[in-house]
Formats: sequence, C-alpha cells, structure tokens
Amino acid sequence: MDLILVGLSHKTAPIEVRERIFFPEKHLPTALQRLQAESDLSEGMIVSTCNRVEILVHGDRGYFQIVEAVKNFLYSYHALSRPFLENYLYSHLRQDAVNHLFRVASSLDSMVVGEPQILAQVKRAYSLACQAGSVGRHLGDLIPRAFFVAKKVRTSTRIGAAAVSVSSVAIELARKILGDLENKSVLFMGAGKMSTLAAKHLSDAGIQNIYVANRTPERSEKMAAQFSGQAVPFEDRFSYVIRADIVLVSTGSDSFILTKSEVEGIIKKRKYRPLFIIDISVPRNVDPAVNELENVFVYDIDDLQSVIDANIRQRQQEAVIAEDIVVEEVSNYIKQASRRSVGPLASLLRSRIEEMCLEDLKERRHQLPDEEYQRMEKMLKKTAHKIAHPLITQLRESDDSPGHRLYKIEMFKKMFRLDEDS
Amino acid sequence: MSALLFNSAFGFYVVGLFHSVAAFVSKKDLFHKIAFASVGIGFFLHSSFLVYRGVEIAHLPLTDLKEALAFFAWTVSLCFFISHMRYRIKPLGIFLLPLVTALMLGTIFFKSSPVPEILRSSWIYWHTICLFLAYGMFFMTFIASLLYLFQERELKGKKPKTFYYWLPSQVLLDDLFYKMLISGFCFMTLGLLAGVIWAEQDWVQGWQGDPKVIAALVTWAIYLILIYLRLTAGWRGKRAALISMAGFLSILFTFLGARYLGGLHTFQ
Repeated sequence: MDLILVGLSHKTAPIEVRERIFFPEKHLPTALQRLQAESDLSEGMIVSTCNRVEILVHGDRGYFQIVEAVKNFLYSYHALSRPFLENYLYSHLRQDAVNHLFRVASSLDSMVVGEPQILAQVKRAYSLACQAGSVGRHLGDLIPRAFFVAKKVRTSTRIGAAAVSVSSVAIELARKILGDLENKSVLFMGAGKMSTLAAKHLSDAGIQNIYVANRTPERSEKMAAQFSGQAVPFEDRFSYVIRADIVLVSTGSDSFILTKSEVEGIIKKRKYRPLFIIDISVPRNVDPAVNELENVFVYDIDDLQSVIDANIRQRQQEAVIAEDIVVEEVSNYIKQASRRSVGPLASLLRSRIEEMCLEDLKERRHQLPDEEYQRMEKMLKKTAHKIAHPLITQLRESDDSPGHRLYKIEMFKKMFRLDEDS
Repeated sequence: MSALLFNSAFGFYVVGLFHSVAAFVSKKDLFHKIAFASVGIGFFLHSSFLVYRGVEIAHLPLTDLKEALAFFAWTVSLCFFISHMRYRIKPLGIFLLPLVTALMLGTIFFKSSPVPEILRSSWIYWHTICLFLAYGMFFMTFIASLLYLFQERELKGKKPKTFYYWLPSQVLLDDLFYKMLISGFCFMTLGLLAGVIWAEQDWVQGWQGDPKVIAALVTWAIYLILIYLRLTAGWRGKRAALISMAGFLSILFTFLGARYLGGLHTFQ
C-alpha cells in the first residue's frame, strides 16, 4: 500500500535519453493500461513532456517491488536496456513523492522556473489517466491537490511575473518606461524579418500607432500595410522620432544611424517625454552614448539579455518563498491523509483482533453448551478490546510527524494483515 | 482617553513601519498586507484622536508644536493612504512611515499648552489645515520623485535589482508626482491666502516681515518654479527630484527652524 513516483527529468537525464522514453499523448491510454496490468498496480498516472517523464503510482506491494515493476515497465515499453536507463531514474516514496509532485506542478522543478506550461501538462496527464480508468481513490485525491498548491504558489508569489524571453522583456521594459501601451506609438527603422516579428509582438501588446521607415520604400509599405501602420520616408525618420514613444532599430547598416547629438536635439522637442529605443541590429545601429541622455533608454540585444538574466534570478528568489509553501502544503496533505486513514483502520484493527481471539472458540462452537459459549465469547471480546485499545491509542497519537505516522499505519497494516479495500 | 487614542495610533504606525521593512527585506506580500492594515487602523485611531481632542478643547487641535507635529503626521499618513489606494506602490510605506513615526515620537518632547487667544479665529482652520495638507503632499511629491529616480537608475543601468520589481511604471510614478505637486501647491496657496486675510482682519502688525512667512514664501516660490519647469521644459527624473528635495527641506525649515528666529508664529 504505497504511493511511489518514478521518473527522470532534465535535471537527471540528457535529451538523448529523454527523447527515448517520451510517451506521445495518443499512446498514453494504452501505456497506462499496460502499466496497470503488467506492474499489478491499483492506480497510475504518466506525465510525459519534453523535459520530464514521471510515473506516479499507487500499489499494494512494497516499495522496492513497485519501483522495480515500474522500471521494468519502462524498459519493456520502450525496449530499452536496464543499464541504459537505470542511472537516470529517480524514485520517491510517499511524502517525498507528494513533495515532488507538488514541486513539479508548481513549476519549481522546471528548466525555466515559474513557466506556466507544466501545470497544464500535468492537468492533461491527469485527465487522460482519468479517462483510461487508472485513477482511483488515492491519486484522485492527491493530484487535484497538486493543482491547488500550484495555483496558490502562482497567486501568492511572483514566480511567473518577470519576463524571460527577448520579446517579452522588451514589452515589459516598454511598460515600465511608458506605462500602458495602448495609445503609444512605435517607429520601426528597418523593415526586415526581425522588425516584422517585433511589430507582431508589440501590436499584440496593444500598440496601435505604427510607423515604418525603411531605405527601400516598397518594403516599408508592405510591412506598414500588414500592421495597418504608416510608411514614412527614411529621410524623415527624425521627425517621427519626436512623435514616437518606442523606436525599434533593425537595419543592415554597419554604422550608427542614431547618434547622441541627433537624439539630443530631438528630446528637447519631445519635452523630455520618455523615449525607449530598442536596437536589435548587429552591428549596433544606435550609439550607446544615446542612453546617457535624460529620459532616453537604449537597449541593445545584450542589454535585453542581461534583463532576462536578472529576471531569472528574481524568479529564483521567488522560488525560495514558493518552496516554503510547498513544504507546508505537503505536510498538510500528509496529515489529512493519515488522519483520514486512521478512522477506518482503527475499526478494522478492532474487528481483526476480535476475530483472532474468537477464532479457536468458534471452532469449538458445537462442543460447548450455549450458555458456556456465550460467557466465553463475552470474555474473549473483552480481552480483544483490551488488546486493541492501546494499539488504537498508539495509532491515533497525534504528536508524531506526519511521515512517521504514515509509516506506522503501514506497519500496522502489515502486522495485522489489514486491507481497507477488502 | 485622547492619550490612549494617540498612543495606540502611534503603536499601530510603528507596527506598520516594522512590517514595511520586513516586507522590503523578505519580499513577502503578507507583511505588506499587515503593514497596510496597521497603518489603516493607526490612521483611524489618529483621526478619532483629532476629533476627540478637538471636542475636548473646543478648538482644532493644532495650536502648539506638539499638536502640529501630530497633525503633520496625520496628513502624511492621509497622503500615504490615498496614494496607496490609487497607485498600489509597495515601497511607499518604507519611505513614508519613518517620517510619520518620527513626527509622532517628536510630540513627546513638547508639552501641551492652553490655546492662545490670538488663535481663536476661524481663519486658523483654513490657514493651518491647508498648509499641513500641502506639506504632506509635498513630502509625497519628494518621495515619488525619489522612487522615479531609483527606478530610472536601474533602467539606465540595465541591471534591474530591487525597485524594478517593486515599482509600477515610471509614468505612474510621474503621475503621482505631478498630482501631488499640483494639489500641494493649490493647498499651500489657499493656506497662505487664509493667513494673509486673517492677519489683515485682526490688524496684526508686521506680518510681512515674520521669518516664518518669508520662509513659507520661499518654499512656495520653489514649488512654483518646479511646476513652471515641469510644464514648459518637461522636467522630471533627477532634476525634479532635486528641486522637490530642496522644497521639502525648505518646508522643514519653515516648520521647525523658523520658530527659533522669533516672530509672530512662535508658540509653544
């Protein structure tokens, strides 16, 4: 009777290994059925993404047998040899399995900490397992709990708040400098592939006024049409810098096309309204010295990357807070689970002991007179009660750690051959 | 009763201050909520104190330095409250609450005194309330420009560290700065006018040469210049921060320093 998690992730296995034990979604239902049948497990779920494969199971046998069974299933399903896979796999028992599941769902174990996809992937895996009929009482109770914890982590920390890709960082910075982007305008210098891509991100972020200046007017007109913007002559670009809030520069020029003295003249005409210049061209097209001007912010591609790095560190800081939440929730869950299983277990234990005490008497039922039999039965029942009482008290003892308590429950189940499901 | 209200308000402000610092260090949102709640309770108790005390002495409790400090603290926490509701700027507390607590703490060094006869005029309500509201708002202006500056440094340096993750956009900070500046200036103008009318009505001699009046006019001029430069040349960031700091120092001088130079405004 144990909850066990076996799996591997980007932390333990390289892509060459991960790609070989990946379960495509359409094969998952049959895989789940095979897992249940071959490994003799009562419940199971398989989470398979490009960064991890995790198999969470609940079975009636001991820890080592279940782990072996799941591993054997993996070897045989993917036709892999044991030595190839063995070293990459980890396994977690009970409390550790709950902890691992909660951390994975909360995106604390992800390659980019705080990324939101993993929760959706776990949810998908859960619904597939439900459909395949491999989710029972135990997993059906535990896994939705993981979703709750993930949501709690997301709302009470800022783990997913900071942007970690180039385009999202550029938009985050634009919002920091300019506020709401809705009524802001952007000037593109250069109408190449990178500009078009950036225009898509910016218009998705709500920017409506788009100007495009390119040396070849045909291309700027084509790009302007695509985003219902306005193509402007390349020679007039400076007068549009006065109007724009964001200037995105991406041309093939090998010299600066915006210099400090040029921009200096412009910012006065802008009345020092903030100006955000993004220079994604290599070699750079905007003189870095422009950044020294008041209320002008120039970011080249390396600067954007350094903000990404800082944001990743920020997410890691938030992850520390999130880990505390997970630890607390794991202990809550284990406490609840053990409390829930003590009740039925206690009555099972009581009747089991009673059964043991009365066993011999019942065999001699016909040898004894009725009166004698009833007297002895009453006495033995009392004895059974006396034996059971301290054991149940011990089981109910609440100052144990939740993990220890679960262990005790398992011990009792084994000693007295108690099976809740029967 | 009034002492109890006052002391418990002070206590809640201190609790708020500690939790603001804790929130700043640990980055936990819970501390923020506790800090904000305590300041809210403190503000409520402080307001009740003002009403209670006002009824007790049958006058606006703003007649000696002790009460003036407490009233100043009240306007600052009022501004904190308004700004927090409107802008949700998390680190505000860590900048505003030290001043609030310091002002509240300052009151224990001064004794209450009976209401001087000269202050028995309805103009004092306009004169003092407007001026103290202006002081609170100008302090807010200063803090807003400081926060703007901090975030600007991180944006310019391209290495976001603390404020980048804590502050709303520069535009919002600038909005707070500008609104507090304009409303502070309006209140200050009204307050000064009320003072002039009061002096003229009561035939007060020589108020034009009073040190505090002169200091207040200098302060008023500093903020007038700031507004002018803001409107014409779009000053913000570092320059605006420096001027609003100068303005606030001038306020502190007007409020605390000028009384040592004698004149009409020397009360207890």
